[in-house]
Amino acid sequence: MNKAIKHALELGAYFAEVKGEDTKILNIEAINKEIRTVSEIHNIGLGMRVFYGKSSGFSFSNILDEENVSRAVEIAMKIARASTKKTLIKFQLSTVKPIEEKKFTNVSKHPKDVTLDDKKDLCLRQCNTAMNTSKSIVNTTSAFGEYHGAIYYMNSEGTKVSYEPLLVGLRVSCVAKKGTTIVDALDSHGGSVGLAEFEKEDHTPEKMAENAASWAMEKIKAKPAPAGKFDALINPRLAGVLAHESFGHLSEADFVVIGVSPLTGRVGQRLGAEHVSILDDGLPEKGGYKIYFDDEGMPCTRVEILKKGILNCYLQSRLTARALKMEPTGNARSQDYSFEPIVRMRNTYFDVGEWKPEEALKELKQGIYAIDTAGGQVEDTGTFLFKAVRGYWVENGELKYPLRDVALTGNILELLKNIDAVCNDMLISTTPFGGCGKMNQRAFVGTGGPHIRVKNVLFGGVA
Amino acid sequence: MEEHELLEIGQKAVNQAQKLGADEAEIFLYMENQTLVQFVGGIFASRSDAVKGLKGAFVRIAGPWIKKKGLPKITSGIKAGIGIRVIVKKGIGFSSVSSIEEKKVLEAMKEATKIAKIRPPDPNWVSLPECKKPTGESGIFDKRILELDVDKLLALCADGCVIIGDFDKRIIQAIGAVSAVSFARGIVNTNGIEAFDKGTIFNASFYAKAKSGKEEVSSGDFLISRYYTENLQPVAISTSKRTIESLGKKALSEKYVGPVVFENGSWNELFSVIFTSGISALNIQENRSVYKGKIGNQVANENVSVVDDGTLPEGFGTTRFDDEGVPKQKTPIIEKGWLTNILYDNYTAKREKRESTGNASRQGRASAAYANQPAIRPSNLVLLPNKGSLQDLIAQLKNGVLIKGSLIGALHSNVVTGDFSVSADNAFKIENGEVAFPLKPCTVAGNLYEALNHVIAIGNDSKSFGNFVCPSLIVDKIVVST
Repeated sequence: MNKAIKHALELGAYFAEVKGEDTKILNIEAINKEIRTVSEIHNIGLGMRVFYGKSSGFSFSNILDEENVSRAVEIAMKIARASTKKTLIKFQLSTVKPIEEKKFTNVSKHPKDVTLDDKKDLCLRQCNTAMNTSKSIVNTTSAFGEYHGAIYYMNSEGTKVSYEPLLVGLRVSCVAKKGTTIVDALDSHGGSVGLAEFEKEDHTPEKMAENAASWAMEKIKAKPAPAGKFDALINPRLAGVLAHESFGHLSEADFVVIGVSPLTGRVGQRLGAEHVSILDDGLPEKGGYKIYFDDEGMPCTRVEILKKGILNCYLQSRLTARALKMEPTGNARSQDYSFEPIVRMRNTYFDVGEWKPEEALKELKQGIYAIDTAGGQVEDTGTFLFKAVRGYWVENGELKYPLRDVALTGNILELLKNIDAVCNDMLISTTPFGGCGKMNQRAFVGTGGPHIRVKNVLFGGVA
Repeated sequence: MEEHELLEIGQKAVNQAQKLGADEAEIFLYMENQTLVQFVGGIFASRSDAVKGLKGAFVRIAGPWIKKKGLPKITSGIKAGIGIRVIVKKGIGFSSVSSIEEKKVLEAMKEATKIAKIRPPDPNWVSLPECKKPTGESGIFDKRILELDVDKLLALCADGCVIIGDFDKRIIQAIGAVSAVSFARGIVNTNGIEAFDKGTIFNASFYAKAKSGKEEVSSGDFLISRYYTENLQPVAISTSKRTIESLGKKALSEKYVGPVVFENGSWNELFSVIFTSGISALNIQENRSVYKGKIGNQVANENVSVVDDGTLPEGFGTTRFDDEGVPKQKTPIIEKGWLTNILYDNYTAKREKRESTGNASRQGRASAAYANQPAIRPSNLVLLPNKGSLQDLIAQLKNGVLIKGSLIGALHSNVVTGDFSVSADNAFKIENGEVAFPLKPCTVAGNLYEALNHVIAIGNDSKSFGNFVCPSLIVDKIVVST
């Protein structure tokens, strides 16, 4: 890596950075008590970005001999030289202080120290438990995933950092069938944790399987959600997806730089009530996916995007921070060594408030308790449609009966104004299955928050 | 890397697997050299015009079209890696590594063997493919693609954007993307397969936005080829035309049900997703296809003939052998409406005691081919052309709808039942055999398997869409609403 940087400077670059990676992904999937897939992907390679003239150039190689690494540096330089002639504006990085730091991950039962057999058993235990719950559970799928290894970063300003990323997750989904009614439900848990996490009472494979099976059984009897505007209590997982998908993406500075985001030029303005804060954090205290440094070598500190209802800042890379004359926030990330870093979230969540979840429910006269989500659509204006996978009809603070898939629509900027209670519980969920996609790159992220209560949410009935 | 070097690594790894106790082993070796160039050109504000409250920012607002300059984005690099399958007592293990260094390869082989040992035996597993001599052409390899440098690719992209902008004043933005890829593949297995080939791919696409009054429309066009194409002017001009012709959108006065002209690309988006799933032997074996038990039956009207041709000259999916080392072949799928064959890989073929059709592919979820396990996929699925241009097809309809461009939601079609409901951004009303006016975004719904029974006419304007080659056609009984 040192040599690559030196080579780039010799070729005329005024700045050069290299990311090195040696990571492994393991996925195990079991369907109905049978292990169906076990696959392992080992990713090793170098990616480098050089700055020359008005532009930058990016290249990568996973053949790590001197010849190929030098070649990659030369290609990056060539790209920078070619781009500089055609670019309208000068791309530069903001000025930062160089740092040198190494971070290690220390957890109980790190996946690299656990046998494949034990991991496989986690899936089989989930399948067994779920299948034995009821005859109506006709299909159970369980998945275990892990991602870990080492990431190295250095640049020509003297920054040299490394850390050991770790993400482990377990997921179970059940399909229940009765007559012609087919429904499904899912539970999952994950984070930068060791496998000891799945020995804790709330997260044993058995407990998760029982949850998924009982939720699926409950959905058989559930009624379709009524359509119309209702007050809603939103659980942490759904709140997290709202925070990430509909608000987080709008606050990504690359969308602000080109003026696409509706948050463009609105720093300092009030967007929500005083009790609403939204954070993006590389190292949340509780749960989530821990990222120590971003892929520009910046520490992944906590960013208060929405601070007490006021837009405080955007999520920045060194590139966007310079363009906007603001501070970088450690949000430059790339999927792996073969991608250039772009502005990405880390763990995005609503900050806690003062309400107890029971009280927030108790004071809900009539409305919907919306739980979890299987995804949805968002537009760059902040308009969203999310499908909550479960729910309850609430009257006078009591759960009356279960609801099936419920669609919520609206605009996040409207929704923020209508949040009337933020609770004091907190859950940040993350798994190594999938992650967030942007510009053809995937990234592992965490999303979460406490329970939040929102007035006047538009529910679309059967989703 | 040369052929013998790559195959030597493969041979070593396979020998190692047998020492570790593997019954069978296979290694897929892959190297790819890719350059992707993107260029955004159009109407930009200068930095000094930045929007209030955002000093120094770069904001897109109305202004003169800035020629030859814009926002370039280029990446280029080499990816090499291997995917390993090891079989122990009918248990299958898979492991991959983004490296072809001997030490890493042998390590991955160990991992795959470990995995194979914990897998339960798969009762349907018979064996890896046996060695057969590939009969097809040697790899389609255009040396000019290797020699393209970033300056040239960027110029192609930027010049294309200028052509698009010059075409009409109402065009406000153009995005161009050009990629040049060369690859080499090797497969070695314990049944004696030792295969190698290489190839090139050249890809160019343009996208434009036009604005008139408050209306903003967009469209695009592309070409995908195994050979270098220096002249991108036709694609750029087509992009402009497609964008401009969508201005002035009106809604349909009522829901339309009847014959619809699908331009080749629009039809292909539905056909490639749904039909491919229907003719997969795995989906048929596992009860996920309407074609189960239908071989030898009529499944479409006599206008429809489909062939999968892995030996098609210049075909995107033409290689000497598939991703398991089985020679590519030509397989008739539908002959004048009658279902004659389906697509097999080694696993599904041996399960039925027959021969693979050479349709194992490692294109999949992971962007690097070596990180995916083989699955069934067409090589070049050709919907056979008949006669007439798109204009001729339109002329056949007194009253109808023309669907062009990309369809939103095609990937969310129900591939098992064939139901689709998509949104078309570039659709037109046909009146008296001519295009009358562009339509507001409309929903197009139907069932693909049923639609094959209602094909009224097929044109001769076949175009390549990667692994698919498709002409425009007229299909009856399609529902369109705006």
